[in-house]
Amino acid sequence: MNFDLVSPTTTEDLLRAIDEHRGRRFRFGAGYTDLLLDLEEQQDNELTVINLARLNDPSFTSIVHDGGEMRIGALVTASRIIADRKLQSRYPVLCQAAGQHGSRQIRHTATVGGNLCTASPAGDMACALVALRARCDILPARGDARSLAVSDFFLGVRETDLKEDEVLRRVIIPTDDGEVKTHSDFIKIGKRRSMECAVVSIAYHIESDGDDTMTRAGIAIGSVAPTIKYARSACEYLVGKRLSSLGPSERDEFAAKVVEYASPISDIRASAWYREDVLFNMSKSILENH
Amino acid sequence: MSHDNSSRSGGFGHRLTIAFTINGRGVTREIRPALRLIDLIRDDLGLKGTKPGCLEGECGACTVLVDGDAVNSCLYLAANIDGKSVTTIEGLSAGVDGPGLDPVQRAVVEHGAVQCGFCTSGMIMAIESFKRQCDTDGVVPNRERIKKSLEGNLCRCTGYKKIIDAVQSLFEQVQGADGAS
Amino acid sequence: MKKSLKVIGKPTPKLDGHLRVSGKAVYGHDISLPNMLYGAILRAQYPCAKIKAIDVSKAAKLPGVVCVITADDVDVAHMSHKRDHPVLKKGEVNCIRDEIAAVAASTKEIARKALRLIEVEYEVREGIFDPADALQEDAPGINKYARGDEGKNIAQTFHYEHGDIEEQKAKSTCIVKRRYVLPRVTHCCLETSVVTADYSQSDGRLTLYSSTQVPFLYQRDMARVLKMDPSNIRVVQPVIGGGFGSKLDMYPFEPICALLSMTCGQPVQIAFSREEEFVASPTRQAMVIDLTTGADAEGRFTFREVEITKDNGAYTSWGATTSFVMMQTFSSLYHAPACVFDARAVYTNNPYAGSFRGYGNPQSTFALERNIDLMAEELAMDRAAIRLVNANYKGEKTGQGLEYATCGHKDALDTVIAKSDYTRKKREYKDAPSARYKRAMGFASMLHVAGGAKIYRSDGCGTTVKLDNFGHLIIITGSSEIGQGSETVLAMMACEELGIDMSKIKVINTDTDIKPWDVGVHASRTSFVAGNSLLGAIGRLKDKISPWAARYLKTDIEDLDYDNGEIGCKTSGRSVKIDKVVRELHFQDPNVLCMESYYYEPASDFQDAGYKGNVSGAYAFASQAIEVEVDTYTGQVKVLDVYVGQDVGRVLNPLGLMGQIEGGVVMGMGYALTEELVVAKGQVVNPTFHNYKIPSACDIPEIHFYPIETHDQAGPYGAKGVGEAPLIPTPAAIANAVSNALGVEINALPMTPENVLKAIKDRP
Ligand SMILES: Cc1cc2nc3c(=O)[nH]c(=O)nc-3n(C[C@H](O)[C@H](O)[C@H](O)COP(=O)(O)OP(=O)(O)OC[C@H]3O[C@@H](n4cnc5c(N)ncnc54)[C@H](O)[C@@H]3O)c2cc1C
Ligand code: FES
Ligand code: FES
Repeated sequence: MNFDLVSPTTTEDLLRAIDEHRGRRFRFGAGYTDLLLDLEEQQDNELTVINLARLNDPSFTSIVHDGGEMRIGALVTASRIIADRKLQSRYPVLCQAAGQHGSRQIRHTATVGGNLCTASPAGDMACALVALRARCDILPARGDARSLAVSDFFLGVRETDLKEDEVLRRVIIPTDDGEVKTHSDFIKIGKRRSMECAVVSIAYHIESDGDDTMTRAGIAIGSVAPTIKYARSACEYLVGKRLSSLGPSERDEFAAKVVEYASPISDIRASAWYREDVLFNMSKSILENH
Repeated sequence: MSHDNSSRSGGFGHRLTIAFTINGRGVTREIRPALRLIDLIRDDLGLKGTKPGCLEGECGACTVLVDGDAVNSCLYLAANIDGKSVTTIEGLSAGVDGPGLDPVQRAVVEHGAVQCGFCTSGMIMAIESFKRQCDTDGVVPNRERIKKSLEGNLCRCTGYKKIIDAVQSLFEQVQGADGAS
Repeated sequence: MKKSLKVIGKPTPKLDGHLRVSGKAVYGHDISLPNMLYGAILRAQYPCAKIKAIDVSKAAKLPGVVCVITADDVDVAHMSHKRDHPVLKKGEVNCIRDEIAAVAASTKEIARKALRLIEVEYEVREGIFDPADALQEDAPGINKYARGDEGKNIAQTFHYEHGDIEEQKAKSTCIVKRRYVLPRVTHCCLETSVVTADYSQSDGRLTLYSSTQVPFLYQRDMARVLKMDPSNIRVVQPVIGGGFGSKLDMYPFEPICALLSMTCGQPVQIAFSREEEFVASPTRQAMVIDLTTGADAEGRFTFREVEITKDNGAYTSWGATTSFVMMQTFSSLYHAPACVFDARAVYTNNPYAGSFRGYGNPQSTFALERNIDLMAEELAMDRAAIRLVNANYKGEKTGQGLEYATCGHKDALDTVIAKSDYTRKKREYKDAPSARYKRAMGFASMLHVAGGAKIYRSDGCGTTVKLDNFGHLIIITGSSEIGQGSETVLAMMACEELGIDMSKIKVINTDTDIKPWDVGVHASRTSFVAGNSLLGAIGRLKDKISPWAARYLKTDIEDLDYDNGEIGCKTSGRSVKIDKVVRELHFQDPNVLCMESYYYEPASDFQDAGYKGNVSGAYAFASQAIEVEVDTYTGQVKVLDVYVGQDVGRVLNPLGLMGQIEGGVVMGMGYALTEELVVAKGQVVNPTFHNYKIPSACDIPEIHFYPIETHDQAGPYGAKGVGEAPLIPTPAAIANAVSNALGVEINALPMTPENVLKAIKDRP
């Protein structure tokens, strides 16, 4: 493995570094849990890694809850997500996803930004963020920041909307501070019970009012399509209904709507039919036992 | 690192200077930018207790503590320990008088949680960090939590049970409580 | 009968545990010799191809490269017990592991880079990846060095029989015939393969720092391949990061490393990456077992007809001889009046198989125990009851000639049936409403050699003990430690016999220049064979010491007691320090050193041409009851509780024993549920821990262990071998449990969630 490294500590330096490397081969490095494996075979001397791990800018490194939104810096690690009390109570699905991310060791270094920018269909925190309808806050080397829904950020397997000279600064989850009851989980199916790359994953965040009527539903599915998908019609199906009054046929109907967003492939980890069947069953399970 | 505000690269083939603490001792080293922490530890510092099991983050044999947190040294850029403190397996008994073992090491031996031992250094470092976190958070983890805390450390010999027992013995106080991740 | 013991039977931590937990134990990867070079091997790009040209000139010119070798540069003999395996391949490649060239360079990176500079021109051929295809009339010969005396593309065949099959068939009320398909799995030792070779050009001696588990056979094999005098080869065994059978054979990388060192005159180390480990280290045999079994109306077993086709891969390793063990299960696990067994190992262009803990037994046990469940079903018998009816018994001499001087089979079964609360749970399962989660229990037993296995001409072990002038004991044993804890058990025995504290006992077992002969670690034999050998040596040592001590204490030898570093007189209570005795013997006339040797050879037989004979000094039996919960939404199997009853003869070190049991069960779970080395058209598809899943801490069940002590006269303190047994019945018991839970037939492994969900979907 061979590359050169620059380690900006301020956003200004970072943007300058990006600018200077325009037109040359460079990659960002955050927690390096994807990048080092990616660069394993990197031999020539032509690549620079712009090391984000040394950045001191809070907009990249902290979790801020600010009235109408939660802002999570791209460099926030999975373990910090898990430990954040506000996220635990307001958006547990993100903590649940982060809690199933790799191992403790991996969680100590893997970042949210890296998880998004890797654009793996099996990204766990990414899946939860899609379910939460989060937005990406993107910084170009020159000019103004732009913002984009996470679900639009993914263009394909390992392909994002980031331009060559852009860096992901943070993700933003819109919030309102009303009292809500949340029903959420991150379901990840693999061969083992831990350290798994999802064969099927579902992140769901459902809010209901005092009457048990669902007021907001966000459901995202992973590893069943080239990108993580937001299951819009399934979400819409739930809003206005009461969770506890859904019968078997409605649960099936709901599951069928989720599956519509899947276009799975067969690979070494699972066959397409398996992913689809399990997606259906697990979608159904979300609404069971209430 | 030579990153005193400088974002400029030193050109290809250049080396970085990093200053860090290893097992309580301050050191300065010149390194290749792409050097992995595990290679710095094993080859450069000659601390062979940290083991290479897979070099892909899956087995945990290479686990060390960086500022107290367990990380896979095979997926950690050596450059990023600049200014930080690294603890390896060799650093554990260092604080103990004489040739003794630290409590985690002792628990692992006494519970028969070591067979071939190749996973053991990493396992112990993971346990150390978990124990510290539990102590900080004031929680006594249950068995499921303990298992989860070991998910990043593969062991092919022991079947994990004795390792879990060893961890549990470290928390021999109030039982049943839960918390920590 | 049982004399009370001081240390034997007490939980004793590992002798060198403190080294292993403090990072001070030196493994193969940690060795670094002055001037050492790093070797790397270029392997085939295709599993079946002609090599038209190899050009190493660019690699040789790379700065830092010291030498590059190919088959043309070396004069070596073929490897493997069938001599069908060239060290470096020439003219053609037959498997994706094939070694074509090797490099030694000053750094790992340069060595790897040099490999990329070697140009190989191939003419790709259509390979043969299914044994059935390899057996076709018109199939080309795969291994041109194969003897072929048993048929084209057949590496080895075994035929065994006893009893009158036709007569037994006539007695059978039910006959079950099934096909079982077992995948390729691999050891996944946490430490990847590594060897360091240090050849001295001045005296022609070669030192190998090797992880072998059979150092003396290794020395001999290496010498034959390199055309050297075996005594010029010294094998030093660093601490080994896992064995499980993978280090029973010598593999090409080892002589290659030696050849590099011989060429350069510098030490050379070759260490596998994890990917290389998956691609280039041996696997458990993939095989298809066709099994027909019968039982009479009372459920008594009548006969077994077995036909096995093993995928040998391109070359033959010891693994091809797993039939030795497999046939025992069919001939002798549960009472079996008649058995006919045929197995053949068939060459293919797949990665070749090797030996793996259990040595074929998990596969045969899987097939047999599945058939037993199916017979119980057909006879409407309880699954536990049918096993009890047929359990092996003490004094049984089986059709194959195995003699069960002791036998805890029925006890083991009774124990797990009772402890698992099977009878009550069985009722509960029946009444459970059809829900998402299904539970059930499955049973399986196993039989395995437990007092060595005479498959080599000698199954013995030598030991030298040296009691020094300060009362410390050094045990120099032929046996090896591969993490299984045998050193500790040996030290415990010495402590027991001589009353010397464990902290004053050292075990030396890592150097063929020093230690006496031993056949190696396999067949769960070490505690048994090395233990008996040690006890023999200690006996001789005591013969020297006791007369002096008795004279000094004015008593009889029978009246002496070795305890606490002293030799005491039981009647008078007087005692003398053991080191004083040693010094007196040493410095008095005639001056005597307290050092003695002993060689132990088990009383077992070398089997006859029909594979009959009492091949082991003792036999282990075990039964497991395993409760599982299957998620019918996902096909995920959760193993809840594993109840293990195992005849261990006598518990020597409970701590070490339980470690073996738990480790074995979890390894068996991996085989049952998640592990498979996927090979497509000869290429390994999942050579990473990311895609080859071994169990993690979160997957493990509760394991309840009940040792059955049968006190076998032949074993040290009555103990039997234990190492392999715990893994053997586990996959079978899990498959039985899953089949019962779902009302399906699981006749193949692994039971991945996908395979289980498929079984549910295909349920009639
Ligand atoms: C053993 C193991 C287990 C894993 N388990 C899981 C799992 O359970 N679930 C899961 O989802 N993933 C898993 N992963 C993958 C990986 O950990 C995650 O994708 C992680 O979130 C990546 O973050 P990072 O900080 O390590 O990214 P890096 O490796 O540093 O970077 C990843 C990619 O994103 C780019 N990048 C990083 N930050 C930015 C930024 N701010 N702006 C622009 N580009 C950026 C990099 O250039 C690179 O291409 C696992 C990986 C390993 C090795
Ligand atoms: S060597 Fe780092 S996780 Fe395996
Ligand atoms: S003790 Fe051997 S891998 Fe854990």
